[in-house]
Amino acid sequence: MHLLDIRNLKTHFYTLEGVVKAVDDVSFTVDEGEAVGLAGESGSGKSTVALSVMRLIKPPGKVVSGQILYKGEDLLGKRIAQFDDVRWKEISMIFQGAMNALNPVYTVGNQIVEAITHHEGTSSTEAWKTAERLLGLVGIDSSRAHSFPHEFSGGMRQRAMIAMALALNPSLVIADEPTTALDVIVERQILDLIADLKRKLGLSILLITHDLSVISELCSKAVIFYAGQIAELSPVAAMLKEPLHPYTRGLLDAFLRIDGEKEKLRPIAGNPPSLLNPPSGCRFHPRCPYAKGICSTEQPKLTDVGGRLVACHLFTGAS
Amino acid sequence: MREFVLKRSVFMLITFLVVLCLNFILPRVMPGDPITHLMGDVRLPPAVRQSLIARFGMNKPVWEQFLAYLANTFRGDFGVSFSQYPKSVATILLERLPWTLFLLTTSVTLSTLLGIYLGVIGAWRHGSRIDVGIQATGLALWSMPIFWLGMLLLYGLGYVLGLFPMGGATSAVMSYPNTLEFVKDVLWHSTVPILTLTLGSYASNTLIMRGAMLEVLSEDYVLTAEAKGLGQNNVMWRHAGRNAMLPMVTVIALNLAGVVGGAVFTETVFSYPGVGLLIFNAIQAHDYPLLQGAFFVVAVTTIAANFFADLLYARLDPRIKY
Amino acid sequence: MSKANVTRRQRVRSTLQNASAFLKTFRRSKMGVLGLAIIVFFIALALLAGPLAPYPPKLMGAGQPFEVPSAEHWLGTDDVGEDLYSQLLYGTRVSLMVGFVAAFMSTIIGTMVGLISGYFGGKLDEFFMRVIDVLIIIPGIPLMLLLAAYLGPSIWNIIFILVFFGWTTIGRVVRSQTLALRELPFIESARASGAGDMRIMFTDLMPNLVGIIVPQAILSIVGAILGEAGLSFLGLGDPTNQSWGLMLYYAESYGAFLRSAWWWIIPPGLCITLVGIGFTFVGYALNDIFNPRLRRRGA
Repeated sequence: MHLLDIRNLKTHFYTLEGVVKAVDDVSFTVDEGEAVGLAGESGSGKSTVALSVMRLIKPPGKVVSGQILYKGEDLLGKRIAQFDDVRWKEISMIFQGAMNALNPVYTVGNQIVEAITHHEGTSSTEAWKTAERLLGLVGIDSSRAHSFPHEFSGGMRQRAMIAMALALNPSLVIADEPTTALDVIVERQILDLIADLKRKLGLSILLITHDLSVISELCSKAVIFYAGQIAELSPVAAMLKEPLHPYTRGLLDAFLRIDGEKEKLRPIAGNPPSLLNPPSGCRFHPRCPYAKGICSTEQPKLTDVGGRLVACHLFTGAS
Repeated sequence: MREFVLKRSVFMLITFLVVLCLNFILPRVMPGDPITHLMGDVRLPPAVRQSLIARFGMNKPVWEQFLAYLANTFRGDFGVSFSQYPKSVATILLERLPWTLFLLTTSVTLSTLLGIYLGVIGAWRHGSRIDVGIQATGLALWSMPIFWLGMLLLYGLGYVLGLFPMGGATSAVMSYPNTLEFVKDVLWHSTVPILTLTLGSYASNTLIMRGAMLEVLSEDYVLTAEAKGLGQNNVMWRHAGRNAMLPMVTVIALNLAGVVGGAVFTETVFSYPGVGLLIFNAIQAHDYPLLQGAFFVVAVTTIAANFFADLLYARLDPRIKY
Repeated sequence: MSKANVTRRQRVRSTLQNASAFLKTFRRSKMGVLGLAIIVFFIALALLAGPLAPYPPKLMGAGQPFEVPSAEHWLGTDDVGEDLYSQLLYGTRVSLMVGFVAAFMSTIIGTMVGLISGYFGGKLDEFFMRVIDVLIIIPGIPLMLLLAAYLGPSIWNIIFILVFFGWTTIGRVVRSQTLALRELPFIESARASGAGDMRIMFTDLMPNLVGIIVPQAILSIVGAILGEAGLSFLGLGDPTNQSWGLMLYYAESYGAFLRSAWWWIIPPGLCITLVGIGFTFVGYALNDIFNPRLRRRGA
């Protein structure tokens, strides 16, 4: 059984301008001990997937249909009060830009302790001990537990967030752009930290990012997201060696390879699509160098290509 | 934090000095003769007038007058009241101030609490009928002149329903059997004035709290708190509310001046024997020394209250570095 | 056709287009339309007070004292038999006039101070900000009363006092907006092309400030009307004039309560409240149009 099994998830936003289909029929799984990377451009809908799993979608957004199975149980079927028990204990989240993800009026230690005492009813002293241990785990001196978030640097805040996310020994950690707001050096440290913790604690991770290099480091499986839908789902190694979907190819081409030949950077032509009014047929077709006639009329279904999934007419066997 | 306190202390001091100087300058620049304004009224016997003129140095050069004024002010000597001669201004103020302070403290507290509560609820359920209802009532009450609100409440609750007295702070009895009776009587008389002042001032608190809350609710740390499974109430009050309250403290401080004004109107409508009614009566009686003294006392009280609000803010916000 | 004419034509056309687009958006705001309707209603009352009033407002003995509302006296009479409906109508004029004039003058002063303070910055800015801070802390009403006691009851004294305290809000708002705009590239380029400070302030900055000035100005009318009503209620109003606040002063002082004359107590206050709500609605509606708040999306 998969740890996390997302089936045909649809999350839409009913705005004044129309319906934004941020997540439009998305399915993938995360197994125990696995790190899955969800990649896509800004505004592609990938954060919405994470928020849907944590059921943090606010109006005008709504999870329209689909199932989110965690250890076999559909999370969407639970009442919020019940779900509050699952939150953080089983699945926790590291938010993008911990600058604002930590409450400025409480100390960092306090915020970790809060989660522990609320869910497990442990005494305050015990909880503080755990909090200090967790901070130590992420490389923050325990004496800093009584500092406020604004007294931490960006990298330290991110570490603190990680410590907080691990407070209740969750099985699944969702990391939403954990390193986007950090500089390269700090990014390196955080990535190493996450890899280390994953190994030590046997965590399962759903990593959301626009940076394929981050995925290639930490994850074993990659889900390439485009315009609210999955373009390609594949083991990372195979994806890097031989990207199937033209979008994936475009993404890889847009990044420098430190070991490859000196090539020109080739960004993907065109602009990110509107989720309000997505292009007809295959949503990538306006920017695709391989687009055929059928691409603008019919949406390609996810096809199995040697154990990998691609949504592209190059592989659907259509002419 | 210490720097912040220092900065604010200096500012408050400057404001106090401005008030001090204003109090000195006004009777001397306004149309009419300062001596007549401050001590030359016919209701005072000539001997008293002479002694006042001497005490305040009115026949000396201006800067000597100013020094005399400063010395007298710090001694608590504001002159003698025209309309309530032989009482000194200071004596009268001392009698009346406690009533006003009582009125103000209770209504500011109540309107703050009410404003916070309704603001949080309104923001949490923004767009709902509760929210619209809260905003509409708030708007209506804010647009009402507070003295009219008082008149309506006095008329309805006092005259028509007879539930509350028609005015005053106490019944016209000579003495009370015990303290409890006294307290009950005072509370009975103050209920409608406090109600008026609270209803008249809570609306802006609600609006600000709601606005601050809406902004805070869109912050990531609120999402984090929810993700931690802490439950709706916890997130709403402990995480969002706590942050949204910070701008509230500032706003309450800013509104203090307005509330004091409201107290003047309320006391007038209810014949409540505080400094507000005193000002009203003093105007009618052309009792300038009393007016000046009352203004001074009211201004200083407001400045002090603002300063305490600043200290409170510094205490609540760990980010204060300045 | 000369080039100048064409440009002017284009400018007129685009202004008209902007105006009609604005009107369309405004019409969509239920709050704004309702508020405008209220304001127009009261302005009409003010203008038509003469023909509409059945009696001269200060005619003692137009009816019996304390008459209950009837066909002859729609709002009854006061303690000396003056017709209250007529008083109410004429009172509209004073209340609206004071509101408009005081708000207008406050806006001018506040805008000037805010613009200069925000644009030049430095010591000048600090000075003005301190002044505003001090004015805000000092309790306005007691000081207003003190000044009014010295200056005597007159419409212009009231307006002066209201303006003396009323300019601070707009001053602050304009200043912060000026500060924000000052850093923008188009100001930089104007300066680089040699435009003088005056020109920059009035030709470049001002049009961008109108969006916040106008709603604030409308909202400040409410404060002015309430202020005038308050001062009049306390007996500092001009007795030769008619105003709603003054009506309530007389009601309070001449026994409206004792005689249960609800028809004297309720209408003037109700009018003040309605006018206040009207301007507040319009002010909020304009604020929403000119300064739409960003809506948060999740994607």
